[in-house]
Amino acid sequence: MSVVMDRGEKGTHTARPWGTLFALVSHTIRMQLRSVVIWGAALGLYSAAMVASFTAIEGSAAQLNQLMEAYPKGMLEAFGVTDLGDPANYMHSQVFGLAPLALAFFPILALANAIAGAEERGTIDVLLGNPLPRWQIVLGNFIAVAVSLLEICAVVGLLTWGAAVLFDVELSLREVTDAVLNLWPICIVFGALALLCSALFHRRSLAISIPAFLLFGMYLMDTIGRVSEDLEDWRPISVFKYYGSAIEHGMDWTHFGSITLVALALVLLAALVFRRRDIYT
Amino acid sequence: MSLAIETEKLTKAYGRKARGIEDVDLAVEEGEIFGFLGPNGAGKTTTVRTLLGFLRPTSGRGEVFGLDIRKSSVEIRARVGNLPGEFALEDKMTGEGLLKYFARLRGVGDLGYAHEISERLGAELHRPMRRLSRGNKQKIGLVQAMFHRPPLLMFDEPTSGLDPLVQEEFLDIIEEMKAEGRTVFFSSHNLAEVERVCDRVGIIRGGRLAAVETTATLVDKSFRHVVLTFAEDVDKEPFEALPGVKNLRGDGKRISFTLYDDLDEMVKLAAGHRLVNMEYERPSLEEVFLTYYERENGEER
Repeated sequence: MSVVMDRGEKGTHTARPWGTLFALVSHTIRMQLRSVVIWGAALGLYSAAMVASFTAIEGSAAQLNQLMEAYPKGMLEAFGVTDLGDPANYMHSQVFGLAPLALAFFPILALANAIAGAEERGTIDVLLGNPLPRWQIVLGNFIAVAVSLLEICAVVGLLTWGAAVLFDVELSLREVTDAVLNLWPICIVFGALALLCSALFHRRSLAISIPAFLLFGMYLMDTIGRVSEDLEDWRPISVFKYYGSAIEHGMDWTHFGSITLVALALVLLAALVFRRRDIYT
Repeated sequence: MSLAIETEKLTKAYGRKARGIEDVDLAVEEGEIFGFLGPNGAGKTTTVRTLLGFLRPTSGRGEVFGLDIRKSSVEIRARVGNLPGEFALEDKMTGEGLLKYFARLRGVGDLGYAHEISERLGAELHRPMRRLSRGNKQKIGLVQAMFHRPPLLMFDEPTSGLDPLVQEEFLDIIEEMKAEGRTVFFSSHNLAEVERVCDRVGIIRGGRLAAVETTATLVDKSFRHVVLTFAEDVDKEPFEALPGVKNLRGDGKRISFTLYDDLDEMVKLAAGHRLVNMEYERPSLEEVFLTYYERENGEER
C-alpha cells in the first residue's frame, strides 16, 4: 500500500474534543470500579454495623444519655452527641460526623495519582502522547473521581438503609440519602486540593500530605472551636463548619453548593497551573 | 521537500543541576528515517519531549509539520505516534484495553492494523501489564505508537528488550512505513539497526547537535581499518610515519593500522613491497559514533 503524506494531515485521526474527555472519564471510572467497591463496602458495612448496634443500646438510651450528662456539654456538642436514643443523632455521632476523615482519602489518593502519581510511575508520557489537551486530564480525572465518590456514597447509603430496614431502626431513606449526599462535597473539596497539589508539584507524597494535613487541621479547628472561645472566630475558615448533620436537620443546599464551588475553583486553578508546567518522568 | 520536524536554536534548560539541550538546529524531511544518536543524558529524550510539548522550551523555536510546538501541541500529537524511552503503563491494563482506550482518544474506529502488527511482533494483548516481561511490554508500546498509522513516528530505544527475531520484524515494519511516505524519528543505542534503516543521523552530545549527515556519508568520511599482508618482512616505521595512521601494529609480514587520511600515499608505500593481501574495512557506525565522544573527552585522534 502506498500512501502519500500531505503535511502530516493524511492518515491523522482525530476524536472530537468532547469525545476525548468522555473517553478519559469513562476509562477512569472503569479503572476505579474496584476501589469503589472496596471503599463502599468498608464504610457501608461499618455504617450498617452501627445501625445494628443501635438496636442493642436503644433500650438503655435514657441511662446512656444520663451518663453523657456527666461529660462537659461543649465536648458532647463538639462530637455532635445530643440524644443517643435518636437513631439519626446516634448515626451522626458514630458514623457521619467522622466519615469525611476517612472517605476524603478516596478522592485525595485518586487525584494525587492523576498527575504527580502518573509522573512518578512514568505513565503520563504514554497518555499525553495522545491528542489530549492538558485541561482535559485535570477536568476528566476530577469528573471521574466525583462520579466514583458518588457511587461510594450510594453504596454506603444502600447498606445503611438496608440495615435500618432489616433491624427495624427508624431511619428513613430520605435521612440516609441526605447523610451520604452531604459527604460528597466535603470529600471532593479535599480531592480538588490534592489535584491542585498534583498539578503544582511533581511529587505524589506532597499531593497527599498537604490536603491530609488540612483535612485533620480543619476538623480539629472546627471541633475545638465549638468548645473554645479562642478558636471560635477561626471556625468559618474550616470547611467542617459548613458540614452540619444532614441526617438530623436535612440537607443544607447552600452549603452543599458553596463547598462544591470552592472545589470547582480549585480544579480551575489546577488546570491553569498544569497547562504551563513541564512534565517530568 | 517539506520538513516534518524543524527546530531553530531550540533550548531547554533545567536549571543549574541538570543539562538539557542548547541551540539545537534540526531539520527532518518528510518521508525520511532519521536516527538520533547520543549516550544517556546527551539530550535525545529532552529533544523529543520538547517537540511533543511535555517540556516547554526555554528559548528557540520548533515546528512539527509546520505547527508551532508551543501553540499547537495537541494538533502535533494527533500526527505523531510516540514510544517513550521509559515505556510504562498502568499495571491493571491489558494491551487490548489500552489499544481500545487510545483508539477512542484518537477517534480510530478500526483496530485491524493494530491486531496485524501485534501478531507480527508477537505482542500479548490479553494479559495485564504486571504479568508481562519487559520485552512484551515494549511490543505493546510499539503497537500503541503505530496502530493509528501516524505520519510521524518517534521511537526512543524501540528495540530495547526485544529478541533478535522481533527486532528484525520491527525493522521490516519501519521500512514499510518509509515506503508509505511516513517519517520516522529514531533514537537508539543499537547503531547497527540505525545504520541499517536510517537515511540520515544526527549526533547529539552535551545537549548540542554535533553532526547531521547521511548515514553513508558519516561512515565514508571517517577512518578505515587497514590490514596489509606482505610476502616478506617489512619495516613498519615508514607506515607509522604516514599522515593519518594510528594504532599501528605489525609483526613482520603483517601490519594493521587505522587510517584517518587519504589512502593514496599508503597504497604507494605498500606497492614498494610484494603485497599478498590488503583488507580495507569501513568502520561500523558504532565506531564512528565513539570517535565523536572521544573527541569530546579530549582524545582527538
